Amino acid sequence: MTGALALGMVGWGLPVLAHGLTLDHRWVNSVEVQATFETGEPMVQAQVLVYAAGNPSEVWQQGTTDDQGRFSFVPDATLPGNWEVMVRQAGHGAIATIPVGTVSTAPANGSKPDMTPGVEVGSAPNSLISPITNLSPVQRGITIGSVIWGLIGTGLFFARGKR
Amino acid sequence: MQHISLKAVTAIALGTLSLGMLSGCGGESPAPTAPDTSAETTVTPSGEGGTLIIRANGEDFVREGFTTKDGWEIEFDNVFVSLADITAAQTDPPFDPEAGTELQAKAEVKVKGTQVVDLAEGDASAEPIPVAELEAPAGRFNALAWRMVPADSGPAEGYTIWMQGTATKDSETVPFTIKVNEELAFTCGDFVGDDRKGILTAGNTADLEATFHFDHLFGDGGAPAADSINTGALGFDPLFALAKGGVVDVDSAALQAGLSEADYTTFLSILPSLGHVGEGHCEEVQLTSL
Repeated sequence: MTGALALGMVGWGLPVLAHGLTLDHRWVNSVEVQATFETGEPMVQAQVLVYAAGNPSEVWQQGTTDDQGRFSFVPDATLPGNWEVMVRQAGHGAIATIPVGTVSTAPANGSKPDMTPGVEVGSAPNSLISPITNLSPVQRGITIGSVIWGLIGTGLFFARGKR
Repeated sequence: MQHISLKAVTAIALGTLSLGMLSGCGGESPAPTAPDTSAETTVTPSGEGGTLIIRANGEDFVREGFTTKDGWEIEFDNVFVSLADITAAQTDPPFDPEAGTELQAKAEVKVKGTQVVDLAEGDASAEPIPVAELEAPAGRFNALAWRMVPADSGPAEGYTIWMQGTATKDSETVPFTIKVNEELAFTCGDFVGDDRKGILTAGNTADLEATFHFDHLFGDGGAPAADSINTGALGFDPLFALAKGGVVDVDSAALQAGLSEADYTTFLSILPSLGHVGEGHCEEVQLTSL
């Protein structure tokens, strides 16, 4: 599930740098919880308690919902089973049970891993995902170019001789 | 009215997230997977077990008093509730009272007979009122159901809910007795609160709690007027209007006869929202089915 990926895989010829740089690349599953009142009003800044499968007595992670009543977390894939998310605010609360399956190791070629999510999947983009996965080809190109330009600049900075 | 049932706390998306790499990896969503709703129902306790304590809790509103949405200081002397067919159940998948499905128990234990308890008993630091102790199989009791039926004896005889206390506003104090005879039945999921409840291991004790939110009836002066806890509440003014000789003493028939049609409708609509498990919501299946 975790793999190290040299930046050179992007396909551009990069200068060999004295200061090696490696970016870790990791596939994870993210669960987004949407908490709303019956009226449709989001539960803003509500307390969120996450309980891992098989351990309902101990809080695995806690946090608060955002201004749209959303909360995202990444369950530990080594703990498959029914995870529970409790959301509470001002005397109101509810628990969602989320079956979490296993996730296979990401293929070496970087394609999408197989998943057995077991949760209802919506078409709305995950707020954590959208900035990354919804980039257009032009945006990706600009982003990658910016990184490369930064690396070249860094390399040239260290490659300059003492004057 | 404060409709306290949350429409949903649902997982709506499971996606892939690439950390540390700036190039996108596609935004496709995996195919939906419907949860398995089949459950084998066994109702006989078996195996090693422990002790399950069923409690009833009127919360601080009842034990300490509170200010209504219309400014009355309420102090309760007694709040009797008459509970019957109390059933604690282990469910898997966990029962969700807002899903519209039937509670299917893998194991369950029941309290025999009708129990009448006074939710106002004890001071602010008192434990929620114990209703029954049951020998129960070990496991997770993540569902609780009970009916509210007219008490067959005692001061609350003939009523499901019997409240007595005083209401004070602008130096005027009004004794009140409110007697409700509508029957109710609540089916609830897991307890929601500061602690997890109902997790019973062999040889040990766990508890479950039937919780009653009387602020839904009177409103909460500590909350904004526009808060749904107040916009949906009856308050005390309409009850004060029914006072005779400086005393409010009403039953359900008197409320129907004396309240405006809108206020009586509000009163009836609040009753199904009284029952909770901590902060967790219940489905009311008796009054709402009439």
